[in-house]
Amino acid sequence: MTKFLGINRLGRLFQAIREAGGLKQAYLKLYRNDDLKTGTLIGIDKYGNKYFENPYYFYGRNRWVEFATHVNMDYDGSQIPAEWFGWMHYKTDLPPIRDGCRPKYKWIADHSENLSGTKEAYAPYSTTPQKIEAWDPKKK
Amino acid sequence: MLRHIGAPTFAKLLNATRITANASCNKTVSLTAPMSHLLVRQQQTMPVVDTNNSLPKKGYSPFGTKQSSMAEWSLARLDDLLNWGRKGSIWPLTFGLACCAVEMMHIAAPRYDMDRYGVVFRASPRQADVIIVAGTLTNKMAPALRKVYDQMPEPRWVISMGSCANGGGYYHYSYSVVRGCDRIIPVDIYVPGCPPTAEALMYGVLQLQKKVKRMKTLQMWYRK
Repeated sequence: MTKFLGINRLGRLFQAIREAGGLKQAYLKLYRNDDLKTGTLIGIDKYGNKYFENPYYFYGRNRWVEFATHVNMDYDGSQIPAEWFGWMHYKTDLPPIRDGCRPKYKWIADHSENLSGTKEAYAPYSTTPQKIEAWDPKKK
Repeated sequence: MLRHIGAPTFAKLLNATRITANASCNKTVSLTAPMSHLLVRQQQTMPVVDTNNSLPKKGYSPFGTKQSSMAEWSLARLDDLLNWGRKGSIWPLTFGLACCAVEMMHIAAPRYDMDRYGVVFRASPRQADVIIVAGTLTNKMAPALRKVYDQMPEPRWVISMGSCANGGGYYHYSYSVVRGCDRIIPVDIYVPGCPPTAEALMYGVLQLQKKVKRMKTLQMWYRK
């Protein structure tokens, strides 16, 4: 009967609120992540992103990330580094903290997020002459 | 890659490109400086979070809160409100031209579920905010695309989806294909891929949301 009425799910909601740390924190989490879930913390990467898992949820929603708090609402999928990408996308079940056989070379570049739309966005060298000549105020 | 290019060749290349308004050449580099310093790849990486030093939290607004006058500050807040409303209800017009349209259908399906971002397909250009050009734009279709784009109300955006819409793609050398839909209409977001996955298109929509968040409608009006 409790299952039919869904009261056991109510317990899960209370658990999620308790794990978030109170009603206000739960609301803020819901506002930021559009979701309020309970799960086990699998790992934290060096950029401050937290990775969670709970197999209770449907495949595809059972692994999720809570982005570092300092980025606030400016989180982006490309802030997940390459090590955790495979785990997030079900390529592997072993998170990088428990996987010992991942290659670690010194030439591996540090992760950078997608910089499109910022001043640091990548622009390739252009070898073709510009159609429009820019005005140079210093030139007399 | 740049390490393998000989220094004189690289200097020549740099000189050739310096005159152009190239974003990566903005800082004037003296070529007498050691090449190794110059050739180190300039890459901005994400800040590392430690337990003992926490980074300051970013504000919501991309304009910041340090405007010079009270009027500018309030206009920035109004812009924030306007952009929040706009980015939460981006209604795309379906413009499925080829196989990319199948992936475009997928983001409407439950797995990717674009409705949760307030992205709802509209069939009429007069109700749409963004047009997703999904597929090969042929010469025959080009006037229709322009007409449909002109019927959309301002503000309007364009997502170019797939190689064919971005730059002709596989059909670049065909006699009957437009080499990229940006020859017809101004494009905001290019989604690469052939076809791009539904996930990639979803990411493109989220990038467009970011772009909408930066819009300065009222601030530009005030400045004028």
